[in-house]
Order: sequence, then structure tokens, then C-alpha cells
Amino acid sequence: MGWKSFQKIKNKLQWKVGHVSFVQRVTAASKKNPSLEFWKLAPKTIYRTQNMSASTSEEVRETASSSSRGDGGDKPNTKEEEKKEDNLLECNICLDTAKDAVVSLCGHLFCWPCLHQWLETRPNRQVCPVCKAAISRDKVVPLYGRGSTKQEDPRDKVPPRPAGQRTEPEPGNNFSGFGFGDGGFHMSFGIGAFPFGFFTSTFNFGEPRPNVSPHGTPQYMEEQFLSKVFLWLAMLFIAWLLLA
Amino acid sequence: MAQNENPLYEQQPTAAATVLTVEKDGDTVARAQNDGHAVTKRLHKELMFLMTSPDKSISAFPDGENLFKWIGTISGPQDSVYESLKFKLSFHFPNSYPYTAPVVKFITPCFHPNIDTSGNICLDILKDKWSALYDVRTILLSIQALLGEPNVDSPLNALAAMKWTKKEEYKKLVMSTYNQA
Repeated sequence: MGWKSFQKIKNKLQWKVGHVSFVQRVTAASKKNPSLEFWKLAPKTIYRTQNMSASTSEEVRETASSSSRGDGGDKPNTKEEEKKEDNLLECNICLDTAKDAVVSLCGHLFCWPCLHQWLETRPNRQVCPVCKAAISRDKVVPLYGRGSTKQEDPRDKVPPRPAGQRTEPEPGNNFSGFGFGDGGFHMSFGIGAFPFGFFTSTFNFGEPRPNVSPHGTPQYMEEQFLSKVFLWLAMLFIAWLLLA
Repeated sequence: MAQNENPLYEQQPTAAATVLTVEKDGDTVARAQNDGHAVTKRLHKELMFLMTSPDKSISAFPDGENLFKWIGTISGPQDSVYESLKFKLSFHFPNSYPYTAPVVKFITPCFHPNIDTSGNICLDILKDKWSALYDVRTILLSIQALLGEPNVDSPLNALAAMKWTKKEEYKKLVMSTYNQA
């Protein structure tokens, strides 16, 4: 396509629509900036005029005038137009075109990941962000467009995990807490009063038992002696329990 | 410990990039990038929307490089004691935005029943009535409406709540507080 074909289109358009303003504008704009590629836009316009009666040429003029306004080509304008139409299909949460779209029973459109995260943030008060109607996972309808080949329920997809929460450190004094989390996990329980504290069983997680000392060292002898003492004590205690 | 901290929390993109390289857990990195991206994308959209909006009584813009901190301005509603006054507000977006509300505070001192002396605002939509649908524009409009119609039943500033009905005195207090700035 070139200037000649553009002229042809121009003439055709003038004849078809009988509306001069588009042509005037285009001609003026192209004189100012001959590199403008109006023929890229023109076929679309012609297609429209051929299918519409002259009474609807208003819309054609609009397209034309909006395209001749832009000095740097027609791209931003067509984008703007698309944007207007896309607004209707935007997710109410991320404000982007809805992906894995779902519709609530109250009729509001969301991306499933967005809505899921919204429902996750308030599990006990699940309301529609737009109209605050009660909604839940089972009360939304997935939308399947023509383009989606796989008719996969977006709700079955693993939703993105919730964002990590970072909290500001407490200002001022550094309270160390209740001793939880600063070492291994400790749990102990026992039966009996103070002197029989030997016989309490102790579970220590995360803190390994001390290694057995190597043979022959004085520490090994000591440990052996101690274990014997405790064994005797235990036996004595059991005997006492039985006899008493 | 490091894994629990989201590296993108209120940080500039440049700083985030350096933190991300330090992070070892690949999964955490991907997630953090994704989440941060979603928040910044939405904030960008809001900014675009605000800049093209014809409403002159409210405005907002990111405070410097950080997209997670904004400065907003509202003019007092017409036919109220706040008419012709301009108030600056700070917005502080959490990483979980828009699922949780931003922290909004008055920078300009404001004498009002529902605004305390340090600028905290008592507004239900910023607390329990928050919805992911709300954005900077709706927050600013709500606060603007709150200026004209305070809720004197649950005041943060008891003096302002008391004086609300005495217009002359109230106006004087509003002006003296405003002129502190």
C-alpha cells in the first residue's frame, strides 16, 4: 500500500460516506507529516463504512479524528480505544485484565488468584470486595472464553501462596520472650515430690544427648560409677515402693 | 529468619534486586518478585488513573523513589469549615496491599473529631471495613467527606467533638491548628 492506494481509499470513502471532515483532516495531517501511515487505519474504516449506513458515520468520523489527532502515528489512540473496552473485563482487585477469571454470584469479575487471596486474608468474613455480599469459593463461577482450549477450572489450580509477612521490629526494649524459640524444644514431666526428681523423665528435642566419653578416661569411670549409683537408687526405690 | 522477611517490603526496586541475589531459597525469590510485582503494578495503575483524573480537589504522588510511600493532598470540602484549606497526607502501603489497607496519616495538623494530634485517622474503611476494591482515590475522597461530616460519637479528639456544634469556636481552633504547620 502506498500513496496511490491511499488516494483511492480517500476517494472511495468520500463517495461512500459523503462526509468530508475525515478526508479533510487526514489530508491536512498528511501534508503536515507525510510519513503518517494512514492506510494502515483506512481499510478498517472503509470496512466499517461499507457495513454501516451513512447515519452511523458519526462513529467513523470519531475514529478518523482521533487517529488524525496523534502526530506520532495511530498506535496510542487505538490502544486507548482498546483500553476502554478492556475496562469492562478488568479484575476488581489487581485492576488488570482478569486472568483465570471468575464471577461472583453478585456479578463481579475477578482473577481467581486475586479473589482467592482476598478470601484467604479474611477467612471468617468472606465478602465480595465490590458489594460486600457474602461469597465463598463454591459460590463463584469460572469463565471460559473461546480462546481457552483447556476448560480447566481456575479454582483447581494451585493458587499462589500468600505473601510473606514482614513485621517491623518492636521499638525499644528487647524482651526475650518466654524462653521459647531460643534453644531446642524442652518438655519434661515427672511424678513425685522434690527428692524423687531423679526419676522424672525428660525429653529434649533439638538438643542431642552428650556424647559418651571414650573408654579409659577418668570421665568414663565417673560416668559408669554414677550410672551404677542411679541404678541402685532406682532399685532401692522400687523395692521401697513394693515393701511399703 | 531471613526467609520470613519479604525483601520487597517498602523498598525501592533497586534495593530489592540486591536483596534478592543474597536470598538462597529459589522459591522464596520467585514468590517475592511475583508479589512485589503485583503490588507495584497496581500502584502504577492507580497513579496513572489519578494523574488522568479531572478531579482537582484530590491528588497523590509517590514520595520520592519509593512506590510504597505516597504523599496525598486534599482540599477541604466546600461549604465546610475546612473550605480552602489544603491537607497533606502520607500513605504507607504494606506488601499485602490491596488485601490490607494502607496506613494513612495526616501530615498537616488537622483539628477534627476523628483525627488525633499525631495525624492518625479513625475511619472504618481503613480498618475493618477495608476492601481490596478501594484505592488511593477512594480513600482520599472518603477522608475529604469525613472532614465535612465527622463522626462525633467515637472521637479521637474529644475537644473537637465537643466544639463541633459551636461553629465559630470550632473554626478558630481549626485555623490555629492549621497554622501550626
